Amino acid sequence: MTSAPIGDAAWRARQRARRVREWALQGALALVLLALAIGFARNIGANLEARQIKSGFDFLHDPAGFNIGELLFDYSASDSYLRAFAVGMSNTLRVALAGIALASLLGVVVGLMRLSRHPLLAWLGGAYVEVCRNTPLVIQLLAIYLLVTELLPEAASAIAIDGVALLSKEGLQIAVPQAGVLALGCALGALMIGGAAAWLVARRWLEVGAGLVGVAAGALLALVAWLLAGVASGWSQPALDGFLISGGASLTPEFLALWLGLSLFTSASIAELVRAGVLAVPAGQWHAALALGLRRSQAMGGVIFPQALRLTIPPLASQYMNLIKNSSLAVVIGYPDLVSIANTSINQNGQALEVIVIIMAVYLSLNLVVAVIMNTINARVTRAPR
Amino acid sequence: MSLKHLLPAALAIASAAIAVPAHAGKTLDAVKARGQLVCGVNTSGPGFSAADSQGKWTGLDVDFCRAVAAAVLNDASKVKFVPLNSQQRFASLQAGEIDVLSRNSTWTLTRDASLGVVFTGINYFDGQGFMVPKKLKIESAKKMNGATVCVQAGTTSEKNVADYFGAHNMKYKSVVFDTAEAITSAFFSGRCQVYTTDMSDLAGARTKAPKPDEYVILPEVISKEPLGPSVRRGDDEWFQIVRWVGFAMLEAEENGLTQANVDQQKSSSKDPGVQRLLGVTEDTGKLLGLDKEWAYRVVKQVGNYGESFERNLGPKTPIGLPRGVNNLWTKGGLMYAPPIR
Repeated sequence: MTSAPIGDAAWRARQRARRVREWALQGALALVLLALAIGFARNIGANLEARQIKSGFDFLHDPAGFNIGELLFDYSASDSYLRAFAVGMSNTLRVALAGIALASLLGVVVGLMRLSRHPLLAWLGGAYVEVCRNTPLVIQLLAIYLLVTELLPEAASAIAIDGVALLSKEGLQIAVPQAGVLALGCALGALMIGGAAAWLVARRWLEVGAGLVGVAAGALLALVAWLLAGVASGWSQPALDGFLISGGASLTPEFLALWLGLSLFTSASIAELVRAGVLAVPAGQWHAALALGLRRSQAMGGVIFPQALRLTIPPLASQYMNLIKNSSLAVVIGYPDLVSIANTSINQNGQALEVIVIIMAVYLSLNLVVAVIMNTINARVTRAPR
Repeated sequence: MSLKHLLPAALAIASAAIAVPAHAGKTLDAVKARGQLVCGVNTSGPGFSAADSQGKWTGLDVDFCRAVAAAVLNDASKVKFVPLNSQQRFASLQAGEIDVLSRNSTWTLTRDASLGVVFTGINYFDGQGFMVPKKLKIESAKKMNGATVCVQAGTTSEKNVADYFGAHNMKYKSVVFDTAEAITSAFFSGRCQVYTTDMSDLAGARTKAPKPDEYVILPEVISKEPLGPSVRRGDDEWFQIVRWVGFAMLEAEENGLTQANVDQQKSSSKDPGVQRLLGVTEDTGKLLGLDKEWAYRVVKQVGNYGESFERNLGPKTPIGLPRGVNNLWTKGGLMYAPPIR
């Protein structure tokens, strides 16, 4: 066929030409971006070499040479930088998880307080939110840390619940079972099994809230299991030893200040999110629930709150990620989180670029994990009612 | 460009902002064009670099910066002081934000060889020590097993204390802060039992304690901490200028030249060494890229090393440190300047 194609064939030819054009343009753009990236990279590399600054990731295997004040697992000054970063990340995770738990709890409570019909409760909730949300987090952390270190007594005259807990400038020391790992294992097991069992049972009897019952029952059983393990294997109790307290597990003032500061700050925003979610539920739901004879608390718990969750969960993910990122302010009050250890590493080996890349990658992955989890929860909460 | 350099750099595309043009060979021109020397100093280092309530900077390191300004710009007051904490100091110098880093920083191999900076000399021989509250009754550093130690992030102190405690089989818990103010606040409120940093820093920090008599500095010196100024690597001309300003201050003290008598010595001294130093007979400045009265201006506007020491750290100041090893070699100390000829 020598004449130009017509009709359907013509259309197909035009589509093909269009596709070729578009792919060619995208390929050209990709090449340009790649060239830019390589150009930047070469520029950076050339500058680093011109100033004779070391580069590369080999330093991760060198001995770190510094100690870290709070550890979840063994680490000493002769371990590698990689292990030091791992310790830092474990500290960040510890304060982030504790912070998320406390912030959510406080946020829900204060949010519901603001919605209360009692003027004092509502006013208190409002004051809390305004104060915690409107002051910079750094200032709050510094203020809490100052209070904690100034007001708490010296180790020699600690506030004590004999044999169980000691509160002093060293922090909060609590008695823990001697077989620490075993006790934690039992607690975890009880949490999973007890929680699942409670959830299955509650599902039969409750329309809504079986999950919550499962979580609460699991937590209670975990606590009981942990205490039993302690009774069985003996307790490691904190006691004054020289000029310090040793024994037991400790929460340092740095951890307490950071945990409290982060939780207060984030809980203010979470309280507002909860309030927004509840207010967004149509008034008709309230009227219907009350007309059916439900008490206010039943209406709130069974009808309004579950619907409010639809609106609350997506922005909640942002708040959790903010909390994780804000935990990097730990360096200001001396808590050895990932950023603090990274700063020390940069000063010791001078490789700022590589260390910052590692930090950014770690925070990015952490927040992506949070995003995935919250998206799953969101999908469950916003599914169409059965 | 080898793959080893491409790989980390390719990951950090956004930080291409680091690509400032290198000032190699051009620092002197830039300083003269700007008409001001930009000097990196400590945020708060009593005796070395500290600002008073009116914003006026004083200290041994501050005097050194003013001496460089006097030599290069003819006026010791043409200095802009940039306070830097221990994290920022070398990065600022690498990036070109400051011309000289005069911030009681220890001269070590790692810093000289891998940070892209080079130390010009030693203006204070120091060592690391410990400060403890008297009421804990610790007489020696070897009795500190299990103590909580406050230390500043990213300093040689952090590494030295790990080495010391490891070598003596003692355990300790470290609390690491990023600014000196945070550490002193934590130590004086009782959060940690031990504060460790250079001895001169300890003496300075104690002056700011609510009750200085309640704290004692232990006698053990656990490391060598030669403190000195540094400049960017790659600019030899600027390096020579900064280095020889330091030596000129020592030579002046050796020859007995002070702020008070330098004018009279310039006109009437017959000593060829003095005449050469002050630019009466030879022009040593020309070889550095300066004029012949560079050393004269240093002594006239700032003073010699001994005067600077007495003014900032001497027995009459609240810090009250003895000259000790920081005295001239002729008087039993370690300060020795190569001859200016």
